[in-house]
Amino acid sequence: MGPTATPPPDTGALTATEHRLANGLRVVLSEDHLTPVAAVCLWYDVGSRHEVKGRTGLAHLFEHLMFQGSAQVPGNGHFELVQAVGGSLNGTTSFERTNYYETMPAHELELALWLEADRMGSLLTALDEESLENQRDVVKNERRQRYDNVPYGTAFEQLFAMAYPEGHPYHHTPIGSMADLDAASLEDAREFFRTYYAPNNAVLSVVGDIDAEQTLAWVEKYFGSIPAHDGKQPPRDGSLPEVIGEELRRTVEEDVPSRAVMMAYRLPHDGTREADAADLALTALGGGESSRLYNRLVRRDRVAVTAGFGMLRLAGAPSLGWLDVKASGDASVEAIDSALDDELARFAAEGPTPEEMERAQAQLEREWLDRLATVGGRADELCRYAVLFGDPQLALTAVQRVLDITPQEVQAVAAARLRPDNRAVLVYEPTPGDQTPHDATPQEGAAQ
Amino acid sequence: MSDATTPTMEFHPRPAGGQAKPWNFPAPERDALGNGLTVLHCHRPGQQVVAVEVNLLAPLEAEPAGLDGVATVMARALSEGTDRHTAEEFAAELERCGATLDAFADHPGIRVSLEVPVSRLTSALALLADALRAPAFREAEVERLVANRLDEIPHELANPARRAAIALSGELFPASSRMSRPRQGTQETVRRIDAAAVRAFYEAHVRPASTTAVVVGDLAGVDLRAALEETLGAWTGSPGRAFPPTPVTADDTGRVVIVDRPGAVQTQLLVSRAGADRHDPVWPAQVLGVYCLGGTLTSRLDRVLREEKGYTYGVRAYGQVLRSTPEGTGTSMLGISGSVATDVTGPALADLWQVLRTLAAEGLTDDERDTAVQNLVGVAPLRYETAAAVASTLADQVEQFLPDDYQARLYQRLAQTGTVEATAAVVSAFPVDRLVTVLVGDAARIEEPVRALGVGPVTVLR
Repeated sequence: MGPTATPPPDTGALTATEHRLANGLRVVLSEDHLTPVAAVCLWYDVGSRHEVKGRTGLAHLFEHLMFQGSAQVPGNGHFELVQAVGGSLNGTTSFERTNYYETMPAHELELALWLEADRMGSLLTALDEESLENQRDVVKNERRQRYDNVPYGTAFEQLFAMAYPEGHPYHHTPIGSMADLDAASLEDAREFFRTYYAPNNAVLSVVGDIDAEQTLAWVEKYFGSIPAHDGKQPPRDGSLPEVIGEELRRTVEEDVPSRAVMMAYRLPHDGTREADAADLALTALGGGESSRLYNRLVRRDRVAVTAGFGMLRLAGAPSLGWLDVKASGDASVEAIDSALDDELARFAAEGPTPEEMERAQAQLEREWLDRLATVGGRADELCRYAVLFGDPQLALTAVQRVLDITPQEVQAVAAARLRPDNRAVLVYEPTPGDQTPHDATPQEGAAQ
Repeated sequence: MSDATTPTMEFHPRPAGGQAKPWNFPAPERDALGNGLTVLHCHRPGQQVVAVEVNLLAPLEAEPAGLDGVATVMARALSEGTDRHTAEEFAAELERCGATLDAFADHPGIRVSLEVPVSRLTSALALLADALRAPAFREAEVERLVANRLDEIPHELANPARRAAIALSGELFPASSRMSRPRQGTQETVRRIDAAAVRAFYEAHVRPASTTAVVVGDLAGVDLRAALEETLGAWTGSPGRAFPPTPVTADDTGRVVIVDRPGAVQTQLLVSRAGADRHDPVWPAQVLGVYCLGGTLTSRLDRVLREEKGYTYGVRAYGQVLRSTPEGTGTSMLGISGSVATDVTGPALADLWQVLRTLAAEGLTDDERDTAVQNLVGVAPLRYETAAAVASTLADQVEQFLPDDYQARLYQRLAQTGTVEATAAVVSAFPVDRLVTVLVGDAARIEEPVRALGVGPVTVLR
């Protein structure tokens, strides 16, 4: 189908082939016989950006329902069957997609394909009120555990709500609100499935110790008869001006252990050279212990205990550059702001040094190698490029694109985007009270 | 299932699997450098990011009295400047290799972990060797690390899972045992640490002869022996001395401690007691039994607490080695942890105890045992796909004085363990009347329901 790209040297001999079933299901296969494992990854082109007002969190809640059985798979059978043959599995929901994956011992690949096909084609025969009520409670507890019961837990949610305006498809995050989770009905879930869970709205990748011809025959056998349907509306337009136009600042008083300054910058869309340049800029500025912000805020000025940038790449809306600074001692917001603005302005004026470029590219290269080190990681990246950019081969050349960026491009994107008038700022002030700790904490092992 | 919606796809029977391909946990090769440093290495084709795990035999118990945290600060200070580089230069050189370097002090010793693309392995090994051989321990850097560590403590205390773990260690172990106290020190002890204390700890406990380096990755085309001799081999030092652990007795009298966190929307729970050394022959059966109890969301605990009742996002049971000895006199921690919504804390704990009672009364089923074995053994090739995962397990074995083929043999022993043994192991791991429960949550809302459970006396820490 698509063109074949030459893989960069660092990804070794990775190749991928593409196929399409008559019902529209796109299939990407990549062989690697080093270890007897095979990863199955299925991306549905639906995420929280497709949700409507009053039903935030529905895509994620629905992802949980996909594990509650289908026509030939009773109850929790999906988990039970995969685990019983030594596989591992999960699903995740983000703004732009929902993915499901099974990593299997190679000889059990067919089971994973059968399971995914069964729920793609017949979930609604098994979906009932009891599952919905149960998983609604589970998801509400997921929300409590990950966001509501931990200090700064809702920072990300608040920054998104500030950086993407009311009504924008990315204004809310995938976890959704408690009220909307409570409001979701069985009919909402059914409608969601009928609209988005179709073979022509999905990409299936299979990576690892596989026989491509046999795998394709199984895919055809299990998925081939699932009917396509076209009820899907395109997501609401996510385009926004390149810069916010003013600094949006909010200060919250919460029971948190220290003052914190968090920021969200609007950055270029994923899939562009500018996005790769922005990634390098954020890495040079705040991507490790040799970064400018770490050296300035943590080492020299000692106003912070941590200071770092992260990038959330988005294809259907501006990406987000996320800065997280936790204050040291009683360092003031003014001291943090001024050191930060100083460093950002200097970087925008001078651009990265050759050494900084080398380091930032080396770090991003290693991160890519890490992602491609497992069959599951590779399967996920192939799906990502197929769903978001229409070409899975782009996954194999992603590292090279980062290495091709010039210092001038990095400087240009920093000057254009990392400006005070292009950010949302969330300041945490600890509530006054007893700040004396009783004890201190080790890094105790958690479960698993 | 219902026939409410007529499926239009063509159904096929569930496929039977094919023939499994043989897979074994990788066997490392052992080697020793001229300076006495032990090397374990393992070639993993295709793994471009090499993992290097270094074990330094400097246990927390070796920290001088009143200086808890000095091992942690020392471990961090290793990468904050050497005889060749300042702290900033060292960080820059490391990142130029695309490498990450982490160091962490735990009960058995200090672990230094390097990950780097194989193309830059030798440069990164040179930096690692500098960090071990000639750390600068400049006063200004140590002072900053101490301040940094003091800043971290309130963040850890505010995290419910970590808060529960601290409280539990203090409950379970006698105050005289290092295990009763936070691994990375308290405000009081960390404040006392300075560059001289860090250097003294380094000189007393860090030397090549008591160090092991595990190197795993795609090493084809790498002259590993030469690369290691040139880097880690250049480190000199007198022979190390063993630091035998003090035997520790845990108090597992059944009781409950509530750490008050007013307004918390969930209760973090940690139900625990001390367990056997990993050398104990019960270990494989315990791994199996504990998995059946709470290894995954289809295990007994989550079947009820999550998939039936919706009280939690997930509760897990586990066994974790704290310190192991060659004689098998060490200690592990057995635990059940997770978080449940505040308003169902009482019912959730009642269900948890009921799961344990039913297990003790009726035992595991053969099906449960079979599924657990198939999962634990079958998942090994996936679990050990990356170099980092293999290196980490090999380094654990070294740290725990286990033979290099321990993990490989564990899989055989799991396959040979029967339902009766697995039941006995998990039931004696979690006896219903000998469990210490720590709850981090809103005391005003959970104290009464918890008292009503009758699982032991309840203390509230406010």
